[in-house]
Amino acid sequence: MSDILIQAENISKRYRLGVLNANTLKEDLSLWWQRKRKKQAMVNVAGDSYFWALKDINFEIRRGDVVGLIGKNGAGKSTLLKIISRIVLPTTGVVRGRGRIASLLEVGTGFHPELTGRENIFLNGNILGMKKKEIESRFDEIVDFSGIEAFLDTPVKRYSSGMYVRLAFSIAIHLEPDILVLDEVLSVGDFDFQQKCLAKIDEISKKQGQTILFVSHSMQSVKSLCDTVLYLEKGRLVAHGDASSVVSKYLLRENAYVSIQKFLDKSNAPGNGTIRIHEVEIRANDQPVTGVIDTQTDISVRFSFWNLSKGHSLLSVNIIVINFLGEGIFSATSEEVGFKDGLIHGICRIPKHFLADGSYVINLVFFQDKQHILFEFNQSLSFEVKSSAKPLNTGRWQAPVRPKLPFTFTQTT
Amino acid sequence: MWDWEVKTKQPWFRFGIRELFHYKDLILRFSKRDLLASYQQTLIGPLWVIVQPLLTTLTYVLIFSRVARISTDNVPPLLFYLPGVILWNYFSECLNGTMGTFQYNTHIFSKVFFPRLTVPVSQVLTSSFRMMIQLLVFVAIYGIYMLNYDLGVNRAVVLLPVSLLLCAGFAFGAGLIISIATAKYRDLDTVLQFVLRLFMFAAPVVYPSTIIPEEWKWLFWLNPLTPAIETIRYAFFGSPAFSLLPLLVSVFSVGILLVIGLVIFKRNEVRVMDTI
Repeated sequence: MSDILIQAENISKRYRLGVLNANTLKEDLSLWWQRKRKKQAMVNVAGDSYFWALKDINFEIRRGDVVGLIGKNGAGKSTLLKIISRIVLPTTGVVRGRGRIASLLEVGTGFHPELTGRENIFLNGNILGMKKKEIESRFDEIVDFSGIEAFLDTPVKRYSSGMYVRLAFSIAIHLEPDILVLDEVLSVGDFDFQQKCLAKIDEISKKQGQTILFVSHSMQSVKSLCDTVLYLEKGRLVAHGDASSVVSKYLLRENAYVSIQKFLDKSNAPGNGTIRIHEVEIRANDQPVTGVIDTQTDISVRFSFWNLSKGHSLLSVNIIVINFLGEGIFSATSEEVGFKDGLIHGICRIPKHFLADGSYVINLVFFQDKQHILFEFNQSLSFEVKSSAKPLNTGRWQAPVRPKLPFTFTQTT
Repeated sequence: MWDWEVKTKQPWFRFGIRELFHYKDLILRFSKRDLLASYQQTLIGPLWVIVQPLLTTLTYVLIFSRVARISTDNVPPLLFYLPGVILWNYFSECLNGTMGTFQYNTHIFSKVFFPRLTVPVSQVLTSSFRMMIQLLVFVAIYGIYMLNYDLGVNRAVVLLPVSLLLCAGFAFGAGLIISIATAKYRDLDTVLQFVLRLFMFAAPVVYPSTIIPEEWKWLFWLNPLTPAIETIRYAFFGSPAFSLLPLLVSVFSVGILLVIGLVIFKRNEVRVMDTI
């Protein structure tokens, strides 16, 4: 018995761009007729342009490994998982494997909205290849882990999305397949449940020797859980190796976190006739950022720019912090100042205990007279914030900010 | 050495019967779900299983027997039409259920793997369950008629399972092929529904086979539904049209259709996911 569970050899997947094939017989027939009449194949709706979602992927996965799959959106991660899960066929190459594979590519696929949680556990278990007896023997464990016991006999259409994830994940993880394939399903649940799932993944791989392949955008969990990491970029496998080195490569290549940008040449720096960026930097406790920023440190955004507006106007600087989903977290605008032309330095401080765990991007916007945008320096800096302390009593930080605000109390009786 | 392989093409002759057997609980669950779901929010619920073929039969009695005066081989019209209606319903339900495999499951097929054959197999199972109930109703009505008419079951009744398997096999084999075709050409479905309606008149559902002109009999009997229906009529009414040869020919041709259907289905079940 060999130790290799999955072997992918030369996998490529090609999709046609634009109008996917004619979808009705009439369209196909008329196409065929046009081609025939003009005797050449120059009628092509699709423009014969192809798109390689994956190209020449080779890798092996060993028994008991936890393998992370990382890459930007559209890098081909889901396509790869679909090929391994036998949902689509590769255009070239072959994947060989041993043992039973269970994949959770989307939360709650195969849930029937009209059926109760209990019935859906059985339906979903069956779909994932479990027999009735196997499900019965693990039923209590599944319910216990999902924490939806009170809603077991409620139709799942009344469930919240969080409950959906909990139930779906619980079923998949209790299947005990030889290989568990997880697409970005974890990102939907709340923080608390995510931690619980990650712990469970760790447990089943270490104790039961299960092999797990999962997609994640959280470099933190990838680093802490995975033995090896596959890194896809535009359909190609650019790195495969131990977690920390591949993650560093990813962060470097994708510019995932930019903590400093410096432009020495005034004429080539980002900007325009009125503003030129000289330097932007994010600092933690006034020290250069080397990794993830702890929530208990003060963060400062430093920026310097050349003012070329000939001193005609009042300038204000606006900082917008956006999370990785593209949602604005907050926007802060400075006072208006009438600067003379020259190099100007500024600092904006974000107090500690303000941002919740997550990854953020900073946009800098320069205003003239509070209404006219002089220049926008978008995605200028990025960083990740993570709490080292255990979450407090409530156990979850779902809100984007959690500032320490003064509370006052009075007691009347 | 390896348990499974994903290649650029699926093999010609691997039907995955053993894998299908592993998923038998899923097949049963799909069937149960469909049975329960189809009677939710209905007025008379499961009674439809019985009422529907009876209403159809009464309509036929009125139109084809009373108005059009088509012969029923001296069998009471109600009794004559009922087995034909039941078998035809069985055939068309199996066919429709199998045909829609990809059309109605695109979303789930694109997200999770399980043997795709579980879907059509469970559809046939559901239809079989309904058909069994209808046959029981037929037997009951037959019993009532026996009190007043000179009726008797002969030993051809042992061929009843063959008749039923012919209907199911014909529908399943053809349905598998059509399911792949409709996954690519969606408008094919509309055309086929129309063809299916006409096809009913090519089988002896509303008339006895004895009225077919001699020169067309060979073609008429090539339709597997003809021997399937006539076998039942012979067993219960002693209808004169029955003979064993067409039945055997149909068993053979349906067998071939099943193999072709399975090959086409298994060869394309994953490939069609790129087009739907």
